[in-house]
Amino acid sequence: MISSFLIAFRALFAHKTRTFLASLGILIGIASVIVMVAIGKGSQKEVMDVIAGMGENLITVNAGEMKRRGGRLRLTGNVNTLTVRDAYRITDEIAEVEMVAPFEEKRMVAKFGNNSAETTIAGSTRDFLIIRDYHLQSGEQFSERDSKTANRVAIIGMTAVKNLFGEEDPMGQVIKVHFIPFKIIGVFEPKGVDTNGLDQDDLVLIPLSTYMRRIVNQKHITRIFVRASSRNNIAKASEKIRELLRENHKLTDDRNDDFTLVSQLDLEELKKETTELFTKLIVGVAAISLLVGGIGILAVMLISVKERTREIGIRRAVGATRRDIIRQFLYESLIIGFLGGGLGIILGVGLTLGLTKWGHWILILDPNSIWTASWACAGLGIFFGVFPAIKASKLDPMEALTTE
Amino acid sequence: MNLIEMNSICKSYRNIGFETQVLNNVTLHIGEGDYVSIIGPSGAGKSTLMAIMGCLAQPTSGEYILDGEEVGKLNDRKLSRVRNEKIGFVFQAFHLLPGVTALENVTLPLVYAKQTPGNAKERARELLAKVGLEHRLHHTPGQLSGGEQQRVTIARSLINDPRIILADEPTGNLDSKNGIETMKTFDNLVKEGKTIVLITHDSEVAQHAGRIISILDGQIDSDSGVHRERNTLSL
Ligand SMILES: Nc1ncnc2c1ncn2[C@@H]1O[C@H](COP(=O)(O)OP(=O)(O)OP(=O)(O)O)[C@@H](O)[C@H]1O
Ligand SMILES: [Mg+2]
Repeated sequence: MISSFLIAFRALFAHKTRTFLASLGILIGIASVIVMVAIGKGSQKEVMDVIAGMGENLITVNAGEMKRRGGRLRLTGNVNTLTVRDAYRITDEIAEVEMVAPFEEKRMVAKFGNNSAETTIAGSTRDFLIIRDYHLQSGEQFSERDSKTANRVAIIGMTAVKNLFGEEDPMGQVIKVHFIPFKIIGVFEPKGVDTNGLDQDDLVLIPLSTYMRRIVNQKHITRIFVRASSRNNIAKASEKIRELLRENHKLTDDRNDDFTLVSQLDLEELKKETTELFTKLIVGVAAISLLVGGIGILAVMLISVKERTREIGIRRAVGATRRDIIRQFLYESLIIGFLGGGLGIILGVGLTLGLTKWGHWILILDPNSIWTASWACAGLGIFFGVFPAIKASKLDPMEALTTE
Repeated sequence: MNLIEMNSICKSYRNIGFETQVLNNVTLHIGEGDYVSIIGPSGAGKSTLMAIMGCLAQPTSGEYILDGEEVGKLNDRKLSRVRNEKIGFVFQAFHLLPGVTALENVTLPLVYAKQTPGNAKERARELLAKVGLEHRLHHTPGQLSGGEQQRVTIARSLINDPRIILADEPTGNLDSKNGIETMKTFDNLVKEGKTIVLITHDSEVAQHAGRIISILDGQIDSDSGVHRERNTLSL
């Protein structure tokens, strides 16, 4: 057995170029599987991080019907039935809800000195920070009193800071929105983009009471952020919110909801669909490239067997059994498979680590893919080597000896 | 009991469109320790007969009993064992492994032997010296002359100490001096008790054997029978 292995190894070593070319297909196949699985995992994690970053156990209640367009949810129509009262009934009456933050926003121009920039002016309650996972970099949160007396205070996001203040320290400064002065009492930590690609840092947050009284003059709101008491309760909470709002809005059974609930789970589901499609694509491409690699082995082994038919005859004449011959060629294809696999793993892991380090991509190395890939090369080596080897062993020794 | 017992052996090759009858009803018995030469014109079927005798090919019909075993009933593993242990081949076309040194070519049968003797290299060296190639141990077939390759083949046939030696034109590529040396080697092997079947064109070479069989068109044309003198000697 060891001698068969040595014979195979020496035969391959004698044809270095051919051996390398035969393993090249497997090499590229394995490397691309590893890199692509890493890309897939990376992008999946990125998306899930963004969703998680929007707030733990988050349910968003949007006024009006929401429709999916191009993978994104967009509000349709103008609905004015959602109110702050709805928000408080949700926390008061639903056990699975931990807290709520009624929310209203509008793109407006804010001014600081001679600078002006368009930004999102948002009004909400103190719990907004907790529910949406916003953290303060400096300064402080507005107080209960600020809310009650509709004080003109604001917490500002990093993008808005850059646009309005440049390098200057915004703390304690006064910006003007609609000629109304607001004192900056806090600055948010940067948060990046949300699942829709919107900049979550381009924001000036003021107390909802201030917003409703001074910025707009209305009773309805467009959104309520809800935090369910646990991940397991998200679905139940959503159902109860739906029932409560339908009752509150006096919707009869024949009428559609005049609001749309989007939970963290819904978003994850939505994104999973796209990443799963991507994963299937990866598996498909990987399978094809490995198959091509296997066919490369098959071709080289067939050629190798053919040009060494006389050698097979000689070995058979001096006592090699069919099994010895099969073993010899199987070892050859196995070695080719492992060589390609080994180099492919090195290349794949190298590329993955390199792209993560210098390419600023988020790639996640999946040990599973390496493991599977190794088995795949062993399997391919055997599968595609067995056929030529059996073919070689079937010849009568004399026929093999007299083959030109 | 005969070591080699061939009864009504026929061999034909079936190719697309035509069939070639190469051996036709050959019956041939060879006893242990016999020295037999086979002569006949080119294409008579001598090499084919040797291939069947050496279990390298199966007859189309007929019965072949080697050392008491019916070859047609042996599986591949047993047949390979027979070739490995009982028979040493000297091929007309040498059949050495290309790119492999003379020494390694000689030890090749031991790779497939049940157990490799510890002194394999030493034995191979001795055998190569015996055929006058002690100075060509590490040459590959491509670096050897035809005669030298033939002598490597003879050394290889002896490495596993077989009971039967099947030699196809062993002197065909040798000059007269080396030819005589080779024939001396065979004569000595017979004295050691080996059974030798020698195919040759050279009637002088054929005379070394105690029995000369002539083949013509796939049939035995004449058989001198075992030489009385030799027979009584071996008894
Ligand atoms: N595979 C084959 N298919 C068809 N015919 C074959 C095959 N092998 C051998 N023959 C034929 O069998 C006949 C005998 O061949 P063989 O090699 O036994 O002759 P030989 O007596 O050894 O001749 P030589 O003295 O020239 O070596 C030849 O006519 C050859 O053409
Ligand atoms: Mg011949």
